Amino acid sequence: MARRVSWSQRLLPYLYVGPALTVACLFSFVSMGISLWVSFHDYDAFAGASRFVGFDNYHRALYSADSYFWLAMRHTAVYVVLSVCGTLLTSLPLALLCLRAKVGQALFRTLYFLPSITPGVVLALVFYHIFSNYGQLLDCSWTALPALALLGVWAGAGYNMVIFLAGLTEIPQILYDAAVVDGANRWQQFRHITMPMLRNTLVFVTVMTIIGSFQVFTSVYIMTSGGPERSTEVIAYSIFVNAFAVAGQMGYASALAWLLFAVIFVFVFVQMRVFRSRRIYDE
Amino acid sequence: MSRRIALIAMTLGALVMVYPYAYMVGSSLKTRKEFAESRESLIPPRYQIREQLAHARGAPSALDWPGADWSIWRNYVDAIRYGGIDRYLGNSFIYAVVITSLQLFFNTLAAYAFARMKFFGRDLLFGMLLATMMVPPAVLLIPNFLVVSELGLVDTLWGVIIPGFAGAFGIFLLRQAFLNIPAELEHAARIDGCGSWGILVHVILPLSKPAIITLGLFTFMGAWNMFEWPLVVLSNQDYYPLTVGLSLFRSETSADWPRVFAASVMGAAPLILLFLVAQRYLVGGISLSGMKT
Repeated sequence: MARRVSWSQRLLPYLYVGPALTVACLFSFVSMGISLWVSFHDYDAFAGASRFVGFDNYHRALYSADSYFWLAMRHTAVYVVLSVCGTLLTSLPLALLCLRAKVGQALFRTLYFLPSITPGVVLALVFYHIFSNYGQLLDCSWTALPALALLGVWAGAGYNMVIFLAGLTEIPQILYDAAVVDGANRWQQFRHITMPMLRNTLVFVTVMTIIGSFQVFTSVYIMTSGGPERSTEVIAYSIFVNAFAVAGQMGYASALAWLLFAVIFVFVFVQMRVFRSRRIYDE
Repeated sequence: MSRRIALIAMTLGALVMVYPYAYMVGSSLKTRKEFAESRESLIPPRYQIREQLAHARGAPSALDWPGADWSIWRNYVDAIRYGGIDRYLGNSFIYAVVITSLQLFFNTLAAYAFARMKFFGRDLLFGMLLATMMVPPAVLLIPNFLVVSELGLVDTLWGVIIPGFAGAFGIFLLRQAFLNIPAELEHAARIDGCGSWGILVHVILPLSKPAIITLGLFTFMGAWNMFEWPLVVLSNQDYYPLTVGLSLFRSETSADWPRVFAASVMGAAPLILLFLVAQRYLVGGISLSGMKT
């Protein structure tokens, strides 16, 4: 009797952990494994046929003359740089202003946060019209990508502002008091107290913005479909088109996904380091 | 003084944030003629005072345009009656509710085991779970599609739901909350005859309500807003969530845009209302997902 209880006691944790862990692993490790296998094959999901082709799919993406991989990567890199600069130049100043304004903080936070809780498709549809009402940003091949980045920055400003606000309120007031006694002006306080104390938050927001904008898809799909003249073809869109708009390219699309993973992984690694070092709920 | 400048700057910023919403709502109230003639206006011409005065004078005005007698809700009614938007909204609601319930249930169980039980391989399994977060969604799109197609779930409701049914982040968040509950409470409950299920239901859950609500809200919003995944998995329009339904209108110049905007408002409104009600949990959650030095 006692023995049976102890058996079930021993199995219980696995029963609790099992379903969640299985699904989480199935849709990360297992699926990445399958797609790695597929990426070495000439694979057609609908025909069900597959032929081993070695590194052909990767070779095609990286070196073939008809490959748009590097073009898409270049566009993605431009989008990432614009988003990161735009985000840091808006959300940190907004957080500082929000603190300084003192009144209406809750209201501002609510209004600035709205885009974060609105479906991306809705934002893209609305901005598609706003951009075409005021200038033809989306019709011109060198303004289309910055216009998409503008939407990205606008949509993320409030979210990142909230993160910066949390970081700012953690800085002990006593540091500023001491600086005032030492005769530091506003800029010196910002430069020598706020910035160093905010370093981790800055790294966090930067890395999260990089990872997020590497994956930009919805606004491209809705607003430009990669055009005009492929000027907004980014890597996530490229993968989508190759996998689902062209038949029998699943192997090639899988290779593209793995290449994207290789690029993003550098930043994800940094993020994991930051993630591990932060404390949640530990007051 | 600098405070006033900050206030003015924040107010201007708030106008920039709100303008697209005002534009969306304003456009959703226009007739097709009004949208074609006056694309930029926030107020539909037939409600503008200038046009109404002109009409009262007997001069030609927007009130003579076809559709001027439309009720203010006309596009909303039409979006449901002819656009099938109620169907899409219903689907979005089903996906969001099912995914949220499954996440909360399975993540709670897993988080409880990771936080409170001792078993062989626990730290290894937890490390594995955290590692699943390293693969970003855009990379997983094709791989997950391959899995779902292996499972034969392409173009089904479950195909959309199943990858969202457990999440490492949720387990991580709940585990942290559970770890903060004093072990003495658990011992007391055990002495009173509670098993681990009883402890979970009667001790752990009531004490970690904020974390559970936060996770629930995040999951609900994520599921309501998901777009790329259902777009890839589904081809049957009857299963489309609102996001995918709306995307059918992209770059379509002939589309009935006021009606599309009405549908957009209906797609955005539920979350905005939810946000207004439960704001403190969400903002608290964001601050948590942000960093502490």
